[in-house]
Amino acid sequence: MSRPKSDDSSVLLVHAYLDGELDPANALSVAQQMGEEPALAAEAERVKELQKLIHDRLPREEAPPGLRARIESSIGATRPRATPSWLQSWRALAASVVLAAAVASGATWLVVDAQRPPTQVAELLVSDHIRALMAPEPVDVVSSDRHTVKPWFNGRISNSPRVVDLAKDDFPLIGGRVDVIGRTPVSTLVYRRAKHLISLTAVPEDGAFAPGGAPRSIGGYNVVRWTENGVSYWAISDLEAKELEMFAQLFRSSQNEL
Amino acid sequence: MSITPLRPRTGPNNPEGPPVRLVSAGAPGSIGGLDDNALFRTVVLPYIDDAYRLARWLTSNGADAEDVVQDASLRAFRAIRSYPGGNPRAWLLSIVRNTAYSWMRKNRPATIVSVDDLEAVELERAAYDETRDDTPEASLITKVDAEQLRAAIVKLPAPFRETLVLRDIEGLDYREIAEATEVPIGTVMSRLARARRRLLETLRQND
Repeated sequence: MSRPKSDDSSVLLVHAYLDGELDPANALSVAQQMGEEPALAAEAERVKELQKLIHDRLPREEAPPGLRARIESSIGATRPRATPSWLQSWRALAASVVLAAAVASGATWLVVDAQRPPTQVAELLVSDHIRALMAPEPVDVVSSDRHTVKPWFNGRISNSPRVVDLAKDDFPLIGGRVDVIGRTPVSTLVYRRAKHLISLTAVPEDGAFAPGGAPRSIGGYNVVRWTENGVSYWAISDLEAKELEMFAQLFRSSQNEL
Repeated sequence: MSITPLRPRTGPNNPEGPPVRLVSAGAPGSIGGLDDNALFRTVVLPYIDDAYRLARWLTSNGADAEDVVQDASLRAFRAIRSYPGGNPRAWLLSIVRNTAYSWMRKNRPATIVSVDDLEAVELERAAYDETRDDTPEASLITKVDAEQLRAAIVKLPAPFRETLVLRDIEGLDYREIAEATEVPIGTVMSRLARARRRLLETLRQND
């Protein structure tokens, strides 16, 4: 059996399929092709094995101690350049165009996103959390009243999330926003603990994520994930891991639901 | 089948989608309005380990990697106001990648191969690649240890190596890699496929 050339488009598409880069229609047709052509199925097996090997065997090195401190002290004396204002307004325009596309495409994209590995979902949600911290407001609807927050999601995303009141446990609700994973809009609730914010994102699990565990922390942010009733919940915060776990426990067991 | 049906991109320089602000409600809170230093601490500092790892793969040397990461961080700080949003790690890694190559051109000129040479390597290699028959016993590679794996990745020519590292070690998506390495997506795809095949081949020879 001779195998297809590495620049054969069917081979490239098998790799793209395994990397979660294909839209549903193409993913389906590649899956069918793999079923019909053993050479492509074998290619897929080899790539999966290689990825597993890299993931399992390669140690994840850390920067040497002191590098961070040297970097921090070296930027102390430098002034950043200002961004030209035309660039900022262009960016705002681009963002609004993309938003319309994301909302319009809605649930169609769930299938693609469902194939993302949990690690990647966690990365995306941590990015969303950081972006929210940098924005003028970390939420799009500001309200401590779950009766205001829950209906706000109606019409913006297909499943409005479970919203519970944890104010008496010192996790007051701040509000909510819509985040985007790939092209799927998802609901994020924002709770507060002292000076720390917690982003809690609900991702419908139709078709399940690609298998694998999610990291417990990324870049200094703790991640707690759990699943109930076909929805995967992701809590992201710079809060201590123990407190974030406690928040997750309280949220799961709370009867204070709308 | 054509090679265009990737996920549509969701924004310029911003493959993960922009912050979605449907309603701007309320007065600015105490969380917003970070100054440049605070922005740097949020966008760059959390990813120094990732930056260091990539620099090590590109320079093959810990001390060089530290220099590169320091230079890259300084560049990132100067450009912090033009951070386009999106995946901050991908943004930093693309700066690290560019810094690594300019640093090596300056300090390690002997190790740098020109882009033309690299394309020649790819073509020559591609021809060789295709003459080989299928060897299905992939499970042989499970015996490979970390050091063999590391050595095999280091042996890859730079364009293959950076593509594989950004995808399979750092987890960037194709568009982020295309932006970081300044090539079209189609090139990312073919480099990745070749890099993985060559790596598997080297690992099998270890057995």
